[in-house]
Amino acid sequence: MDYRPPSDIYLQVALWAGVGTMVLTVLVGLQIVWLRLAMRRLQRREQALTLKWRPLLNAAIAGDELGTLPELAQRDHVLFIKLWLHLQQAVRGEASEGLNRIARRLGCDAYMRGLLVRGNRAERLLATLALGHMRDRESWAALARAAHAADSASSVHALWALVQTDAARSAQEMAPVLLRRDDWPLSQLANILQNVRGEWQLVLALALLRVSPEELPQALRLVAALRIDLPQAQLRGYLASEQADVVLAALRLARTPAVLDQVRGHLGSADWRIRLQAVRALGELGDRSDVARLRASLSDPEWWVRYRAAGALLSLPFLTEAELADLRNADDRYAADMLAQVAAEREVA
Amino acid sequence: MRPDSLLIHILTVGVLVYFVLLNGGYLLLNILAMFALRKRAQESVLDDLPQVYSALEPPISIVVPAYNEEATIAASVRSMLQLSYSEMEVIVVNDGSSDRTLQVLTEEFSLVPFPEAYRIQLESKPVRAIYRSTRFPNLRVIDKVNGGKADSLNAGINAARYPLFCGVDADSILQRDSLQRLVRPFLGDPQMVASGGTVRIANGCEVRGGYLTRIGMPRNPWALFQVVEYLRAFLFGRLGWSVINGMLIISGAFGLFRKETVVAVGGYTPGSIGEDMELVVRMHRKLRARGIPYKIEFVADPVCWTEAPEDRKQLRNQRIRWQRGLSESLNSNWGLMFNWHGGVAGWLAFPFFVLFEWLGALVEIFGYVFMAVAWWQGWISWDSAAIFFFVAIGLGILLSAFGLLLEEISFHLYQRPGQLLLLAVIVVAENFGYRQLNSWWRLVGLFKWARGGEAKWGAMNRKASWQRDIN
Repeated sequence: MDYRPPSDIYLQVALWAGVGTMVLTVLVGLQIVWLRLAMRRLQRREQALTLKWRPLLNAAIAGDELGTLPELAQRDHVLFIKLWLHLQQAVRGEASEGLNRIARRLGCDAYMRGLLVRGNRAERLLATLALGHMRDRESWAALARAAHAADSASSVHALWALVQTDAARSAQEMAPVLLRRDDWPLSQLANILQNVRGEWQLVLALALLRVSPEELPQALRLVAALRIDLPQAQLRGYLASEQADVVLAALRLARTPAVLDQVRGHLGSADWRIRLQAVRALGELGDRSDVARLRASLSDPEWWVRYRAAGALLSLPFLTEAELADLRNADDRYAADMLAQVAAEREVA
Repeated sequence: MRPDSLLIHILTVGVLVYFVLLNGGYLLLNILAMFALRKRAQESVLDDLPQVYSALEPPISIVVPAYNEEATIAASVRSMLQLSYSEMEVIVVNDGSSDRTLQVLTEEFSLVPFPEAYRIQLESKPVRAIYRSTRFPNLRVIDKVNGGKADSLNAGINAARYPLFCGVDADSILQRDSLQRLVRPFLGDPQMVASGGTVRIANGCEVRGGYLTRIGMPRNPWALFQVVEYLRAFLFGRLGWSVINGMLIISGAFGLFRKETVVAVGGYTPGSIGEDMELVVRMHRKLRARGIPYKIEFVADPVCWTEAPEDRKQLRNQRIRWQRGLSESLNSNWGLMFNWHGGVAGWLAFPFFVLFEWLGALVEIFGYVFMAVAWWQGWISWDSAAIFFFVAIGLGILLSAFGLLLEEISFHLYQRPGQLLLLAVIVVAENFGYRQLNSWWRLVGLFKWARGGEAKWGAMNRKASWQRDIN
């Protein structure tokens, strides 16, 4: 067979692709080596910095008077702040203030303000955390801008820094934003606001009145998760809403017997999630007259409603042994099984 | 030009183009993965700080299917119970083990029969009994009739109490903060339905009390090749697809799912041998068909370690099984391919998997054999054959080198210079035989799948030489 390719162009392209691949492979190899060397250098610098500064930072935490501080090289600011942040996370009160004092003496506040504006994303995050711990009022405007940014991680940490700096002012400025952001993790928000509920409670309740119907369910879920109590009239309005998601979230906020009538009304909802929340609320708020209602919920077609009803019944403080035995001997096998399970769970716990 | 010459020319160019497209696709995934890793690196300052729980993290049910795991089950469950997470439960599903798995669990964790009102949302083989630990209130054991891994997972989902469940292989070694890392995509995104973590090779590492205490390199060459292979597969294969919401696989060894969504799409397919991939592909297909917005994300952090096969026979069986699983997953979800609503999954990921992962073995083996024969017979010149092998092998080395680069950019777990050097040697060496052998096994898997017949898991002889268990 006398095959000859119509043109050598294919072979030439392939050959050059191969050569290019080889060159790229060598470059990747060199990059790996360079990264490894850079990492080693960084580790050595970190070790030296820790050796030098850790005792001083420990002394600052202990409240010792620090004399003249060694100079902190410009390029070591970021490494120093990383070490400083690590310690800040573990201390509170006066110890934290001690760390703030040493950071300010070294000019870290000004350096971090610069990074917050001009740094790359990682540096901005670092600066946000540092300035939050320092409660740096000078960076309020920059932090507020960062808290409005689309980037979830950066913005939620900026919110944290604002709350640390001035809880009342942060509530006034950030409550409407907080209710509209569904990308901020609830667990993180709970951590951020756990010590400032007082400052945020009323502001959040007022801000709720201004959110759109589409945003209301998410906003209510957030308020419920933060365990913030709403004024009774406001809560009643939400419990009477036509929107299932609003009722669902409002039921999680039902923490007063004053709304019991509305809670009971939702036991017959077509939506099992609403029945579930109504049963849960009744378990916490209900009176003797609710035993029959909860008993009926033990036969609910939805497993979770039966489970919660059994839990609610067994939690009622006024139920006698005879009434409990009567419940366990119910004709409904599903109800009896569920009661047996919940009772066994409580025994194990 | 004579017709046979034309045919040979078309085949030559076709094979070359296929290899370039395949590796070009992987290179694009590499670039996407680099962007994702860069973003992750920027947030590493947060990872380094002590973690605080608010108790508002979504609670997680860990589902552990176990079949004849008497040797390792106690240590595995102990390590899972010690994972750092605010609220979780562990559900071990004893899939009709013929060894002492259930007795070991009963003795180790003081199990007692528990009168659970078991809820059937997904079909599974009958449940014989449910037990609860008197020492660990968040540990339950389901004893059921043997039905396979998918069937066990379904039974575990039925018993799960929490909105997220995490399927874990009984022999997986998890990082203590692995749940914390895997749940992150769910925290700020209500559309998230699943997240999968990186699995690494545990051979050569040291494990104490169910946790990894020292990262090392295996001495066995088969395991060494797999270290580089896993870097490639996870760090750019999955991460790259994840960036564009086109990830079709979440490893069964460690994946987190929104229970409601999994139940809505029918749970795991009993009898399926690639149940992890099949579920994810089906989720893409059904959620897209129903117009439900969703996300599936990959967490690049090394959260799970697994023991790799150390001999040719076991590795061959594993690869054949994987290829059969891939075939099943794709063939039961053709509706996703080029579907009007298919998005990235249907228009890019699925066709890519069909062309390069599924049929890839066939084309690769054909390509190598054809080029060798064509040169031998004088149909093509020495230059043509040599350039083909040069490009094919060169691209293979480049891809593996990229895997190593991504590892170095992000986690650099293998810290000793000797380890890096060894990995560099493997990056080159695996392209001279190992990858071709793998392609051959995949081809065998493809034929076995096409021929039909019941797929078997086959016994994995776990050595667990790295395990230094402490009680």
